[in-house]
Amino acid sequence: MLNLQLDHQSRPDVDARIASGGGEILTVPASADWRELKDRVPQAVQIDVHFESFKDGRGFTLASQLRGRLGFDGRLRATGHVLPDQALHLKRVGFDEVSPDRTDVADDWSQAQTRFATVYQPAQRGGETVVAKRTRSKADLAALNARYRGMEAEEIFEDAIKRIWPGRIAMMSSFGAEAAVGLHMIAKVAPSTPVLFLDTGRLFAQTEQYQRELVEKLDLTNLRIIQPSALEVAEEDADGKLWSRNNDACCTLRKVRPLDRISEDYDAMITGRKRFHGGDRIELPVVERLDGRIRVNPLASWSHERIDAYFKRYDLPRHPLTEMGYASIGCWTCTAPAQDGDVRSGRWAGQSKSECGIHRPVPVAAE
Amino acid sequence: MKAITANRLTDGRVIYRTEQGHWTPHLAEAARYPADDAGTALALAEGEFGVAVGPYLIDLDDAGPAGQKWRRESIRLAGPTTGTTHVLAADAGAR
Amino acid sequence: MYRYDEHDTALVRERIEEFRDQVARRMDGRLTEDEFKPLRLMNGVYLQLHAYMLRVAIPYGALRSEQMRTLAMIARKYDRGYGHFTTRQNIQYNWPALTDIPEILEKLADVEMHAIQTSGNCIRNVTADPFAGAASDELEDSRPWAEIIRQWSTFHPEFTFLPRKFKIAVNGASDDRAAIRFHDIGLQIVEDETGQRGFEVWVGGGQGRTPRIARKIRDFLEPRDLLSYLTAILRVYNQHGRRDNLYKARIKILVDSLGIDAFRDEVEEEWGFIREGELSLPEAEISRIRSFFSSPRIEGQTPLPQTGPAAFRSWLDVNRRDHQTYGLSSVVISLKPIGGTPGDATADQMDIIAELTERFGFDEVRVTPEQNLVLPHVRNEDLFAVWEALSAHGLATANAGLSTDIVACPGLDYCNLANARSIPIAQAISETLDAQGLSETAGDVTIKISGCINACGHHHIAHIGVLGVDKRGEEFYQITLGGAMGTDAAVGEIVGKGLAGDDVPGAIARILHHYKALREDGEDFIDTLRRLGSDAFKEAIYAELAA
Repeated sequence: MLNLQLDHQSRPDVDARIASGGGEILTVPASADWRELKDRVPQAVQIDVHFESFKDGRGFTLASQLRGRLGFDGRLRATGHVLPDQALHLKRVGFDEVSPDRTDVADDWSQAQTRFATVYQPAQRGGETVVAKRTRSKADLAALNARYRGMEAEEIFEDAIKRIWPGRIAMMSSFGAEAAVGLHMIAKVAPSTPVLFLDTGRLFAQTEQYQRELVEKLDLTNLRIIQPSALEVAEEDADGKLWSRNNDACCTLRKVRPLDRISEDYDAMITGRKRFHGGDRIELPVVERLDGRIRVNPLASWSHERIDAYFKRYDLPRHPLTEMGYASIGCWTCTAPAQDGDVRSGRWAGQSKSECGIHRPVPVAAE
Repeated sequence: MKAITANRLTDGRVIYRTEQGHWTPHLAEAARYPADDAGTALALAEGEFGVAVGPYLIDLDDAGPAGQKWRRESIRLAGPTTGTTHVLAADAGAR
Repeated sequence: MYRYDEHDTALVRERIEEFRDQVARRMDGRLTEDEFKPLRLMNGVYLQLHAYMLRVAIPYGALRSEQMRTLAMIARKYDRGYGHFTTRQNIQYNWPALTDIPEILEKLADVEMHAIQTSGNCIRNVTADPFAGAASDELEDSRPWAEIIRQWSTFHPEFTFLPRKFKIAVNGASDDRAAIRFHDIGLQIVEDETGQRGFEVWVGGGQGRTPRIARKIRDFLEPRDLLSYLTAILRVYNQHGRRDNLYKARIKILVDSLGIDAFRDEVEEEWGFIREGELSLPEAEISRIRSFFSSPRIEGQTPLPQTGPAAFRSWLDVNRRDHQTYGLSSVVISLKPIGGTPGDATADQMDIIAELTERFGFDEVRVTPEQNLVLPHVRNEDLFAVWEALSAHGLATANAGLSTDIVACPGLDYCNLANARSIPIAQAISETLDAQGLSETAGDVTIKISGCINACGHHHIAHIGVLGVDKRGEEFYQITLGGAMGTDAAVGEIVGKGLAGDDVPGAIARILHHYKALREDGEDFIDTLRRLGSDAFKEAIYAELAA
């Protein structure tokens, strides 16, 4: 059997529920009427939609309705007679995976997924529409920054998630030293907001432990783990020492490309970056565009002291490594304790590099 | 009498199956089957991949396509009976 | 005219690469013919009797001169020197090799054209009034809306594998030249009592073997709600349209079986859920698209020419239409020379038309549902020059709207589905009517011919329709009377038994002679027919045959 990911984000909560048998796995024909599934969907953790023929387009509306009308948030799979040429459509109506009858054309499936970067219609997922791209202009960016001037961080979270980009926004989190602040705000405002965790495969064990601790404590319900492609890692970093030879290439392999692969699923991403981190971040705006994608930085103006106070006020757990002097935490291969009060001095210490590339500094004025 | 016809995959042109199991644009070179054997030959052609699209049987008599579909098959064989193809061909001939 | 931005360009290029890959996969066996067929159809590629056929989209029938030149170049280089304009405002090439098609698509993309969704069970090329932006009876230009729908429907993730094809037409004038009542969805731009513009929405019209006049589903739809409402209709159709029987799969059958009220309830329920979402059209995007479609402004307003050769004068009388701007006219370029193939234009003719479009036509030419072309904006002082150039190339037949302006599908000379030939019948009718003076004297009348019940030749909506049938290997033609495509939409009735092809031209001539004998002052054929009923003409059809 061939099982292909259409969506490059793993859902540990869904995986765990499926693995533990905690929830029903429904198999329905593409011809099913979504209204007749109303009562069964809430108990389901996975729904397999079976296509007798690739020409039966009912399954596409069915998926859309399962996601949109019934709010199904588990794993959605297309099985049966489906073609690689349908990959993008399947993904856009909300399928996570596909298990096609024909098992010898896996390459065609992966090719088909990257073929189209242009979409005209809004859908369950899969990219900012052409209309949205056209209508958001530089002026909109200025308007949004004006809108957020003077707003408290928590209000910005709420506005961005619920009003400006509903269903089209995610929080990026490294689960590093300061991450608990933003995640706590997400938990208060909308705990089902996707939280994207970049698992580079080079994280400190303490980070992974901290991630589990925070997700559980804050009751975040939509953690999505983004990992580098195993195929690419095997090809480009076979000995696991790429970081020591060319750390830019390593960041590209383990952070930039994995994030690129899923970035079309969201119109905007929230980050926890702050101006006091220094370097290119000194002039960080609340809303910016990086490579055409919106980043929202609600905590941009926060100081180190304010963060400390927030941790104390809500009794938030600290990353285990902060007690050892780490102020900014990335991969174990390239992170050292901070020096002289410069929080990011421990990242790629002793080198001119200060950013991994996922927050590529593209000046707003250039657009 | 029957023959097997199809359209060529690459350019859609009308082709006929020969005795040797090849395909030819010329009906004269086509294999002719007694009605009883035609089904087996067609199944063989259908099982092949690559040259022909949608092979099927046609009726023939000594003059050419016959049976209920004689007109359709005559047009497939000889081209449109009228129209701009002819006008342009005539113009080209006159020049 | 709409111009692509970087997004539109990117998508068309992405589609070419996809199609190139699909052809390669068909060649090496990764795709079977059963799988490839729907995929190629969705890119306009048919397999006809003698060759592949490529149908190129001409959204709402509008072309610039450079696009027309590219169509001519493709006809010369990849086909046999001509193209065929269709009733849905597209162009078809009858002879391209499959392996050349990716390259043809590249040439089309260079001038912002494509073949996307010109066939297949998806939302087809959107059609509109060919006189949009020019017609004197226009409330609002329909083209911006057709363009908005074109973009929304392109690669719709939910609606690419529908039960059957799906056609949408938009009309913004008081006359309906887009036949919206014979489309799966027809949109009529209307104004409410407060002066606000919106759409009257019609659903479930169509021709084919079960002709239906569309039913009105909504009296008034706000423009911002257009795409959410279309989505709701398509969702109901995609889920509930029949898939067990090819001939009962169109939305008209679903509307028949549910009834328009129950169908409307389903649509409105779905619409209620999605109306306020992302499908709501931003005003900025509506104005952006609108800004491409301004009508030309002219200085100096020359009246119509009052002198000139008789042939020019009669061409003006018959082929010219009033324009909404004084000083301009619209003219029909007839692709119906007497005895010719309806809708065909040679590459040389296309080049001449491109030249006239550029010099005299504000760089715009349209394709009509009658298989003619239109220069929508011509200065009155240029009319004579346009006519002279057209007549030098066999393009100035003064018969727009007359009995020799015949619509015909390709029929059994090309088409895989046809039962009988259409083109030779059209040619013979045209010659007979012309020889008997009926082109000039029988007034406005529509004659349309289909080579099978799929009705691509629109015989159902012709005043006089001709339907080709096959009876044990012989071609027969049934005559229908009384169809109409506009606001007076009607489906023609079959009159009597089928005729042999040779008998059709004479029968139609007799119908028209009979009309001339019976008409009252100023009465068009269709009015006389409606007044007297089709039985009054039956005898004329069969009289001499019996003798």
